[in-house]
Amino acid sequence: MKRFLIAALTVGAAAASAQQPAATTKVGPTLIKNATILTVTKGKLENADILLMNGKIAQIGKNLSAPAGAQVIDATGKYVMPGIIDPHSHTMIDAVNEGSLSVTSMVRIHDVLNPTDVNIYRQLAGGVTSINVLHGSANTIGGQNAVVKLKWGRPVEDMIFKAAPPGIKFALGENVTRKNSQTAAQAQGLPLRYPATRMGQEEVLRDAFTRARDYKATWDDYNARVAKGEKGLVPPEHDLELDPLVEVLEGKRFVHAHSYRADEMLMLLNVAKEFGFTVKTLQHGLEGYKIASEIAQAGTGLSTFADEWSYKVEAYDAIPYNVAILMRHGVVATVNSDSDERARRLNIDAAKMMRYGGLTEDEALKTITYNGAVQLGVQDHVGSLEVGKDADVVIWSGDPLSVYSSAETTFIDGEIFFDKKKDLAMRDQMAKERAALEAADRGRRTTPVIP
Amino acid sequence: MQIRGLLAGMSLAYTASVVAPPSIGAQIGVQRERNAPSVYAITNAKIVTVAGPAIDRGTIVVRNGVIAAVGASVAVPGDARVIDGSGLTVYPGLIDANSSIGIARETPAGAGNPAAGRGGRGAGGRGGTPSQQGAPAGAPNSLHPIGLQPELTAVDLVRPDADAFAGPQSAGITATQSAPATGIFRGLGAVVNLGGSSAQAMIVKAPVAEHIGFTPQRGGGYPNSLLGVFSSLRQMLLDAQHYAAEQAAYAKNPRGMHRPELDPSLEALQPVLSRQMPVVMEASSQREIERALDLAKEFNIHPIIAGGEEADKVAARLKAENVPVLISLNFPRRPQASADADPEPIRVLRARVEAPKLAGKLAQAGVKFAFEDGGMTNWADFLANVGRTAEGGLSAEQSVRALTLSPAEIFGVGDRLGTIETGKIANLTLTRGDLFTGHVTRVFVDGNPIEVHAPANANGAASVAGGTWTITVTSDEGEKSVTAALQQVGDQLRGTIQGALGSSQISNGSVSPSGEVQFSASVTLSAGTEEARFAGTITGNVMRGTMSIVGHPQGTFIGTRPDSAQGGRGRRPLEGSAPTAFRIGELT
Repeated sequence: MKRFLIAALTVGAAAASAQQPAATTKVGPTLIKNATILTVTKGKLENADILLMNGKIAQIGKNLSAPAGAQVIDATGKYVMPGIIDPHSHTMIDAVNEGSLSVTSMVRIHDVLNPTDVNIYRQLAGGVTSINVLHGSANTIGGQNAVVKLKWGRPVEDMIFKAAPPGIKFALGENVTRKNSQTAAQAQGLPLRYPATRMGQEEVLRDAFTRARDYKATWDDYNARVAKGEKGLVPPEHDLELDPLVEVLEGKRFVHAHSYRADEMLMLLNVAKEFGFTVKTLQHGLEGYKIASEIAQAGTGLSTFADEWSYKVEAYDAIPYNVAILMRHGVVATVNSDSDERARRLNIDAAKMMRYGGLTEDEALKTITYNGAVQLGVQDHVGSLEVGKDADVVIWSGDPLSVYSSAETTFIDGEIFFDKKKDLAMRDQMAKERAALEAADRGRRTTPVIP
Repeated sequence: MQIRGLLAGMSLAYTASVVAPPSIGAQIGVQRERNAPSVYAITNAKIVTVAGPAIDRGTIVVRNGVIAAVGASVAVPGDARVIDGSGLTVYPGLIDANSSIGIARETPAGAGNPAAGRGGRGAGGRGGTPSQQGAPAGAPNSLHPIGLQPELTAVDLVRPDADAFAGPQSAGITATQSAPATGIFRGLGAVVNLGGSSAQAMIVKAPVAEHIGFTPQRGGGYPNSLLGVFSSLRQMLLDAQHYAAEQAAYAKNPRGMHRPELDPSLEALQPVLSRQMPVVMEASSQREIERALDLAKEFNIHPIIAGGEEADKVAARLKAENVPVLISLNFPRRPQASADADPEPIRVLRARVEAPKLAGKLAQAGVKFAFEDGGMTNWADFLANVGRTAEGGLSAEQSVRALTLSPAEIFGVGDRLGTIETGKIANLTLTRGDLFTGHVTRVFVDGNPIEVHAPANANGAASVAGGTWTITVTSDEGEKSVTAALQQVGDQLRGTIQGALGSSQISNGSVSPSGEVQFSASVTLSAGTEEARFAGTITGNVMRGTMSIVGHPQGTFIGTRPDSAQGGRGRRPLEGSAPTAFRIGELT
């Protein structure tokens, strides 16, 4: 409790007053000088400068000159790296699961995004700039995802990462069969939901995509008849459940599949092959190392925990070398948080990948930056420090792969959304506001006493 | 097409409304009403006409339910019963712009379709069942589950109920815009007078607006989260568009075409889609309001925001899109928390201090607004809180307008209610002193005087779930303690939890009148952040239930709150239907 209080009075408190920054203004250029620059894709540059202009990375090199009106930051002794990308998040949503049905592809995370969630600010303070907000894992086919840039204080529509192709969450294994909550449902008199086994999950997938094929055929037929000039046709019904599955079949929507065991992952890869689509990522995928070649061959990525295991039966066979083994087999692998709390220290989770499996520094950084961008289809925009990419850049007090370093300034599209110095100043402001509010509130009637 | 749709809806409505025969009590009420004098003259009163400048000392003549004359030098007719209005101020009868006063909880008939409630249009995912345990029955012959029946109409549901009307009348309220209080598509609201010998006599105009709440279904069926709420709204609106196209094609040339099925729910959505029927959307926080406006934009429907706690943050958009706001007067109260509770989050504190200022800010921004009760049970708060809007710079004139002409205009009854003018319905509110510093002595409803008594529960019945709860959660991670600050708004539950499970705003919360409660919250466990679903029952000041997290064994929780806890809205005394009796007491 005490620990929470301290957290609330520091980062959380300061964040609340940062909620309403000035409306979007044109951001001036920023020149960060004399830093150690971790480009991730093009090596490490010592004593180098990076220029952010018009929301993009304009130049990287030595002795850059500041354009007129540029803000110049001396980063001597400090490190600059790309903003961290969390490929698996449930931050900033007012609902995680629509678990009532086995197929809920019609629900959209976009509808329930909450831009005032204080965890956005806390993650900025951990150097995170983009997150993949996913539906929960209650059902075989879950809802549509949202890829978001953490532009704290802005309306939802400004935060949506517009270049990111749409995605959808699938889930396999224990969370879907609800081994643990079946009894709970019965105790509450709630209905049991199909499927109760992994066999059933495969059937749900096959059934859903068969329906999606039929639905697509209906629309294709209608469109063909309209094209031929037939008049007076009533268009087929729109089915919000099947529309996104048709997009999956057409390769326009990425599948991010929660899975743990090797057998269920192989099952999904086979079903996908049968229906002619590629699974973009396996999420968690703790047993991925057992089938690394098969995953690589399928062109599928994998996003996992650095070192979390054995918290349930299907997580018993996990090993911390998962990422390293997958990478050595050519799989695009990432480390994710799945947690509002761990999302704030993904840099440490990346560093663990050097300890387990001997990844190089760049490879470790890729697990929380570039590879995440690939998994979300935005590698041309973010994930590394390259000229022309979005200016999603973080200044760290030291090497981000060290436990002693912390993020000091976080830029998104060239604009500062977290600054440690400002945060400290805001804490005073917050304390004053609270005092004023409490004074105004005191003396008001409380709730009446019922005799 | 649209007109035909409306007619179909109305005929259904009337069929259902004759089911319940009038009680003997109601018949006596009718008798008494006929014997009562129907001509009144209120003399020597200050008259706030709202239509023009106030009359310092004047007379109002009421004849057969209508204002016959008003002015400084109006002659008192010989057949009038005279009320000496010295020291009194007369206002147009106050209107509560959004309420479920007068709506019976149990509907007369119908069950909805137990096989409905699927996610998409097609075969749908399997396993979900639509159910709302303990909820009112729905529209007869609906193809859609209870909670998604836009054809449900206040016309079928209103009941004259003197006991239920006594509280609002004590706050000067003479008419309400009333609609069913639960569900997603809640049904059609009506402007009703709080008096009359029958349901039919109460109706001033119906229907006036469709109502959308965003409360997930209880009982595990689709949609059981905010995610599904939006998808189901969207799917039904798309289906309604398709339905119109199909029906039009069939009407044009029925030969050879399979006859499209009649769907009263989709029929009821036609005037919504053609913008003829506005839609009252329950939305309080900034993001809730923005989501509602986005949905309205997506389907080109005409929204009215109800609740609107943070409407000032969306004021520019509300103004630009010409969307009125029905401001809840059920301002949050300072909870009595136990000594070991965590300090309140600053946003909760901020919301409480800012609530009275909202109306002034909207007035400043040029947003149209009216006041609604927000489900309050303590009717003494109604006018007291109107008075507090002065903190935000709202003038007395602006306040009165927001209680009279503004709601009348928003719901299309400005030609018959909302001002004291010759020819308008004789709904009047009489106060000794003014509306804000004095007290209501009497109201006129449809020309009938009703003596006002402070209701027995003037202190407010305890809210079922509102208040600050100290909750102990027992799960696979041991025992953890959290503080939950809950506010009940109609059947919805809002608030925050904080403590050993982290801090988060609760979502998808709802409460049934019998105290079944459920809500979701993000909780931080050792394995990560998870969505926990709390479901339980409240008995007095104790809440017990289970906590379910996908992938975890079920936990349990027990919560307590201080004895005096009352966080906001509670249950409304809607059951029981005593006949409306007009008390003609001695003149004040």
